[in-house]
Parts: sequence; C-alpha cells; structure tokens
Amino acid sequence: MNRTRALLRKIGWAIFTILFVIVLNFFLFRVLPGDPARAGIRDPRLKKEAIEMLRVRFGLDKPVINCFESLNPIQLGSCTVNPLDTQFFIYVRNLFQGELGISYHTNRPVADILAERLWNTVLLIGAGQILSIIIGVVFGVFAAWKARTAIDFAAVMSSLLVWSLPTFWLAIILLFWGSNNGLPLAGKATPGSSSLPLLQQWADIGRHMLLPTLTYTIVYMGEYTLIMRSSLMDVLSEDYILTAKAKGLSTFQILKDHALKNAMLPLVTVIAINLGFTVAGAIQIETVFSWPGLGLAIFEAVGRRDFPVLQGAFLLIAVAVIFANLIADLTYNFLDPRVKTE
Amino acid sequence: METTAQAPEIQNQWVSRLQGFWRTFSRNRIGLVGLAMLIVIILMAIFAPVIAPYDSSSSASVKIDDVYNPPSSTHWFGTDDAGQDVFSNFIFGSRVSLTVGFFAAFISIIIGGLLGLVAGFFGGRMENFLMRFTDIMLVIPDLPLMVVIVALTKPSLLNIIFVIGLLGWTTTARVVRSQTLAVKSRKFVLRARAVGAGRGHIISRHILPLVMPILVVQAVLVVSLAILNESALSFLGLGDPTALSWGQMLNYAFGRGAMSIGAWWALLFPGFGIVWVVLGLTLLGQGLEQVLNPRLETHHLMAGRPVVRGEAREDAEKPTGKNPLLEVRNLSINYVNEGKPPARAVENISFTLKEGELIGLVGESGCGKTTLMLSLLRLLPSAGQIVNGRVFFNGKDLTALSEEEINAVRWKDISIVFQGAMNALNPVRTVGDQIQEAIIKHLPGFPHDQRLQERVVELLDLVGIAADHKDHYPHQYSGGMRQRAMIAMALACNPQVIIADEPTTALDVMIQAQILELLDSLRKKLGLAIIFVTHDLGVVAEMCDRVLVMYGGVTAEYADVDAIYNEPRHPYTQELIKAFPDLTKPKKKLSSIPGYPPRLDALPAGCRFAPRCPLAFDRCHTEQPPLHELSNSQSAAHIASCHLLEASK
Repeated sequence: MNRTRALLRKIGWAIFTILFVIVLNFFLFRVLPGDPARAGIRDPRLKKEAIEMLRVRFGLDKPVINCFESLNPIQLGSCTVNPLDTQFFIYVRNLFQGELGISYHTNRPVADILAERLWNTVLLIGAGQILSIIIGVVFGVFAAWKARTAIDFAAVMSSLLVWSLPTFWLAIILLFWGSNNGLPLAGKATPGSSSLPLLQQWADIGRHMLLPTLTYTIVYMGEYTLIMRSSLMDVLSEDYILTAKAKGLSTFQILKDHALKNAMLPLVTVIAINLGFTVAGAIQIETVFSWPGLGLAIFEAVGRRDFPVLQGAFLLIAVAVIFANLIADLTYNFLDPRVKTE
Repeated sequence: METTAQAPEIQNQWVSRLQGFWRTFSRNRIGLVGLAMLIVIILMAIFAPVIAPYDSSSSASVKIDDVYNPPSSTHWFGTDDAGQDVFSNFIFGSRVSLTVGFFAAFISIIIGGLLGLVAGFFGGRMENFLMRFTDIMLVIPDLPLMVVIVALTKPSLLNIIFVIGLLGWTTTARVVRSQTLAVKSRKFVLRARAVGAGRGHIISRHILPLVMPILVVQAVLVVSLAILNESALSFLGLGDPTALSWGQMLNYAFGRGAMSIGAWWALLFPGFGIVWVVLGLTLLGQGLEQVLNPRLETHHLMAGRPVVRGEAREDAEKPTGKNPLLEVRNLSINYVNEGKPPARAVENISFTLKEGELIGLVGESGCGKTTLMLSLLRLLPSAGQIVNGRVFFNGKDLTALSEEEINAVRWKDISIVFQGAMNALNPVRTVGDQIQEAIIKHLPGFPHDQRLQERVVELLDLVGIAADHKDHYPHQYSGGMRQRAMIAMALACNPQVIIADEPTTALDVMIQAQILELLDSLRKKLGLAIIFVTHDLGVVAEMCDRVLVMYGGVTAEYADVDAIYNEPRHPYTQELIKAFPDLTKPKKKLSSIPGYPPRLDALPAGCRFAPRCPLAFDRCHTEQPPLHELSNSQSAAHIASCHLLEASK
C-alpha cells in the first residue's frame, strides 16, 4: 500500500518535472533576445512581406500568451485574446500531438528529423554506458579489495586522470589515432553500404561505432571506478563481511555473495543522476565523429540558427533523461529488499 | 561592545584552525601535487605577457607559409590556421579559461551555498520547496541547456560565465544542505539555541565554520566543471570569438582543417592546458577531501599481517599432554600504527577450554576482549598482528595454518555469535539463505534439496524462530530475533566451540535473559564449549565454569567461578565484585571504580591497573607484575597478576 503510494508519487514527480521542462523550453525560446523568425531567417534579401509570411507560417504572429503581447511584462496586451489562440497553447497542443514544429533549415517536421537521430544517440550512449559501467565496476572492485596497495593507487589516479579529460579533446585524439589506423572517421555507415547484406551492414556500423564508443567509455569509466570503490569500501567494512569471513568463505565468495550486490545498489542511483551529464558527452562525441545523433543535431542547429530543431532536441533529451531517471529509481526500489518489503 | 571583544578571539580561532589545517594538508602528497599544478598555471596566466614569445593580438604576420607550421625552434608548439604562435595562444588562453572557471564557480558556490544553508537551517516548507527545485534542476541535462541559452543570447564571455554559473549550483546546494542539517542537530548548536542565541549568530559562529570545509572542497570541484563546460561550449562554436580560450583554439583548429592537414600540434597542446588545470583541481579536491573528511581506509578483506615467529615462542611449541579442546598459550597481539610504536592490545594471555565447558571472559570495553576472540580465528583487522603465542585446537596450532586451512576451521569447528546482530547479518539476503550458506560451504556432502531447507527450519526451531520467518530479511526481524538467528547460524555446522561476543548487549533485559537461557540450554543439549565474552559479572556467576578477567589487554585473574566470587585475589576483580549487586547481602554498599581503563597508545609503565588501584604502591607504577600461580591443583588453576600476591605464592 505504502509502496504503491511512493511509486505513484515518484511518477507524479517525474510528470511534473516534464511539465516544468515544457514550460521552460517554451519561454526560453521566446524570452531570450531575438525574434525567432528574424533570428532564424537572417537573409537581408527577404522583403518585409516575406518575413511577415514566414512569421505567419511559423505561428509567430500570434500573441505569446493571454494578456501578454510579447513576453515583455510592461507591454501588457488586451486580456481579451482567445487563450486557445496563443503561441503557448498552440505549442502545448502541438506537443501532445507529437508535433515539434518545422525546421527553418530543411522545412521538414522537427519530429521526423529527431526520430531518425534519437536511436543513434541511444545506441551510442547505451553501448558506452554498459562498457564504462562494466569496466568501472571491475576496476572499482579491484581497487577496493586491494585498498591502499599499488593497484588501488593506480586505479584511483587513472580514474582521476580520465575524469579530467575534456570529452571532445579525447575524441579528437582518438580520431587522430584512428585516422592513422584505417578506422572510419565520420558518420554511422560507409556511403553505399546499404546495398550490402545485413550482416556486413552491421559490421560496418560497428566499425563506425568503435571510436565514439571508446571515447565515451574512457571518459565515464573513471567516475564509475571511484564510486564503485568507495561504495565497496563502505560495504567491506561492515560487520556482516566479518561474519562472512568468520564463516570461512573465501575472499571471492565474500565479494560475490555478500559485497557486490550491496555495493552496486548505490551505483544504480548514481547512474541515474549521471545520465544528465552523459548527454553532454554525447553531444561532444557526436560532433567530433559526425555521428548522426541528437547531439550532432543540436550542434548543427546551433550553427544554422535552426531554433525549432534546437528546441525540439532539447525537449527530447530532457524528457528522455527524466524518464531514464525514473526507471533507475524504480529499479533501485525493486532491487533493494529493504525498500521492497517495507 | 561584545563583538569588538570577540573579534580578535574569533580571528585567532580562524588562524589556529588554518595553521592546523595546513599542517595536515602539507603531508598530503596528492593535494600538494594538485596545488602545485594549479599554482603553475595561475602564474602562467598572470605573467602571460612576459612569458609568451609573441603578442597574441598583433600576430597578424600572416604569410601564406606561416599557416600550420609544425613545432620548431621559433614556434615551440607550431602555428595555427591563422599563422599564430600556438605556444603564445596557449599561454594567453589560460587567462580566459581560468577567468571563466573561477567567476562562474563563484556564482555557483554563492547560490548553491545560500540555498543549501537556508534550506538546511530553516527546514520545513522552505526546505521542501528549495530542494524540489534543486532536484528538478539537477535532472535537466546541463550542457544542452547551456547550449540553448548561449545560442539564443550573444556568445560573449560574460554571458558564458553567467550561464555556467547560474546552472552549476545544484550539487553544491545539496551537499551544503545535508552538512547544515548534520551540524544543526549537534549538541553545541542545540545548546546555543536553547540559551536564545540569534539565528545570525548561530549561522555565522556555529554552522558556517563547519560547513565551510565542505564548501571549499565543493568549490574546487565546481571550478573544474566550469572549465570543462567552458571548453565544451567554445568547442561547439558557442565561445566568445574575441577571447581565445583553449576550447576556442580547438574549435578553430578542428573546424579549419587541422585534422586533414595532420597538424596535430594545433589540436594536442590546447587540450593539455585543460587537462592540466582540471587534473590539478581534481587532485587538490581529492587531497582536501582526505584532509577535511578523513576516512579510515580499511576493511575486513584487506590482507592481514603475518603471524610473527620469534624466539619467545619456543616455550610453547607443543600442546600440553592433557589435550584440552582449545588451548591458548601466551598469546600477544599488537596493533601496528604507521609511524608510531605498535599498540600492545593483548599481552601474554593463556587459558584452556574443555569440551562442554563454558568460560567467561570479563572486562571493561576496550580491554582487548574482542581482539583476543577475533585472533583465535585469525579474523583481526589488517592492523592487528599476532606477535607471540599459540592457539591449539584439538592439538592443531591455528596460528600456523594457511589461509585455506583456517577457512576450513572457521564456523565448522569454531563459530562466533557477534555482538549487535543488526549489522552482523547481510541486509540484502534472507536469513535462511545466510544460514544455509554455511552448511553448503562446510558440509559438502549435505544434499542440496529439501533436506537442506528442513535443516534450516530445524535450526531456526532450535532457537525458537518459526519456520515462516526463514525467507524474511534481517530488517523484518526484531533485535532479539536477529540475535537468535545469529545463534542458529552459529550452530549450522555443529561446531565444537562457540564464541559468544557480548551477544546480549544492546538488547533489553527480558530478551537478554532469554538469549542467555537459550545458550545455556543449547550447551547442555549439544555438548558445546562456549567462550562467553561479557562485561556483566551477573551472567558469569550464573552460567560459567571458569572466568578470565582481563584488564587493559592483560590477564588480571583467571580461576574457577567460585574462586572469583568468593576469594578474588586481584584488586581489580575485588573492585568489580564490589560494584556488583549481591542478593544475599542487600545492605551491601555498591561502589564503582573511579577513572577509565588505559588507552592502548598510552599504557602505564608498570601494572596497567595501577593508576586506578586502591592498593597500589611504588613498585606497581614502575614494574609490570608477572602472572602468579596461586593454586597447586592442575584442574583448577588460579592465576593472578599483582605484586601483592608475590608472598602468598
């Protein structure tokens, strides 16, 4: 009973956060200087009428929200505007219909552009996360088990070092290295590879993924190593580990059966909190390797002043991170018997 | 008036605190390396015009063949796409990166620190609201949001500083809040509140000094994150084009063909700058964390110290002919402290345990009881070391066994019931599972089927726990039940000896009595030998056959229970008995022993009890008394260590 309520509260909170992001996203793109239409279509050759037509087309001629002509609070408009005919309402209504606007640059629906990109990013982050977590856990376990030895020192120091690397710079270095070793340098697939048999297509994608995933793994494994180490150190100094030792269990058995699960529980929470940060890595990696994901979409949209794409990409990323957070949170509750049986 | 009088005092307090901090910090190598790295780069930024061989603003000396020149004697780091000297730009770039990093971090720390302090101190709705807001901001991915905001505004240095600063406070707010909460409930703050000190006074005098260290560590981390974020923004083309930061240099190089030309120097060196600063800050943060928030970096799986094989052991090479079940002879244990002389935690302890016998081990907390018991199964923490003596079990020397051999003895032959079973059971595994684990480990022939489940139920039944609790987790048990479950687990492999280490501490009196009764009845039913560790003489009187009284790591007295109660010979035992209520003499005055047991790092030169002994004389303070044999009977040895007993030998 109590558990269901806690569960519902968490879901409700996630929904509230998403609503917050939706509102934030709308106002960010309206409040900050620059009429999106003019900022987006900076072509001096366009006549005033043409700009006006574009404004109508992108819905920028409508009042922002009821009572406000623009978002300048001094410029109070008439409150007789139909609230259903404001930019904000139309934005929210379109969102619920899955419409994110139209790209200034390509004139295609933003939702379509992002849908193509989303899975590439998920693929990259997924592979990178799994690898960095596995490596981090293994290194962290060794560091904690062999605490205060040379192994431990080496693990901690190398973790601090990789943590300090700027993601995009490591990507550039690896790109340099890859270019001397015949690895594909950009994109997701070799042009023309779609005519190949499926297995070879996958192998091609795998080769393209190699360097981006490697960058991602190196950048994030340090943090997981440190967290795993400190979490396992805490667990290993608990009384029940002494009990396990007194029971005559071998070190391996103690680590496997008594320490690992307990130490990995906090890691689940950290992974969830980290997701927001790892997206930052994805943007940089995708930019360097021209990996056609959401991050590259953001980079390109910034360069082209393509605000609908930027807005849509930000919203999608934020919502995805909030969801992933919620899932990690619920997973934790499911894994920890102390929460589960309460 | 009050403030003027207090000001110098506060100042002195801060000065001495800083001095103390520096003393510890200057011994922390990681922190020092980080600090040195940071100072180097700060000096470089300050003296940039002096160091840089070329003036960064006027290097428009572009001849066509100046572009992307490899490193040479004139251009140490080569030249970039505009024909500028990379080395000079690298040096000037430190200014931009550090400026953004420090100013942005300053904003973040002020906001996060204030929010955390306010939320933690005032609590209630304010805290709820602020923390909810922090949680929302924490979950929104920060770099994309920064990209959006900078893309929509002008990409100027000031904008970047504000955007990074205004979005980087979330973790600081959380950390400061939890520290404020922790400090707020400390005694001296509660006391200050009780005497009506104002909020401002409490915050500035009591809370801030204890939040500050955490804030400093956090600030170092925030600066490094801000520098990383600045470089990423610049690299993505959102930097200030007029301020050439390291990220901006990389943006130009990467965007203008350095990769295809193979101009590695234009891509490599600016990155080194970022790594250098961020690594320096990270190491500094790590060092500060270790100094300000020291943690004992030890755990139970760290390799133990080898048993010392000295000459002093020769007298105890073989077990005595009588072959008792367990014979501890001249056992001494040290705790090794790096840079300090070892602490002599247990010295020269001997006792024997026969089959079915119950021996009581009595002493105040900290007198080495638990150390002695852990050493029997070689379970000492990594600093502990057996430096002398032998432990014979069935004629086998446990101190000479390999790790594998001792693992076979643990639990199978000798098991332990730990004190405080709350933490002695694994919280994420069911109780039944933990019991059956011992059986699977030590009785390999035991069928892994229904029979195993029945055995677990049987064991639980033996200690009075119903079968349906088998699959419950420890937190679903009450304190008494957990202790019973622990006993059931100790019985799982039919051991010959059970060590019960204060099994009833932290339980209420009724439950204590039940647990004691249970142990006593199990002993009779199963023929167990038990070593019962306690500081409760009443328990000893009721159950034990023999008693070993320990004081400060040494034997005070060792005798039959009757002798201990009726004719105690050591002054410490006598004082203990006086402090113990006797039902037959209700009018007897109870007395306590003044003072505290000695600290292991400051043991008295002579008898360890001398400072508290009512009968102590000069010799007691200078010479450690030997063990005196007070009885001729082999079966009922009576030993005590006191100079007063020399004559009565």
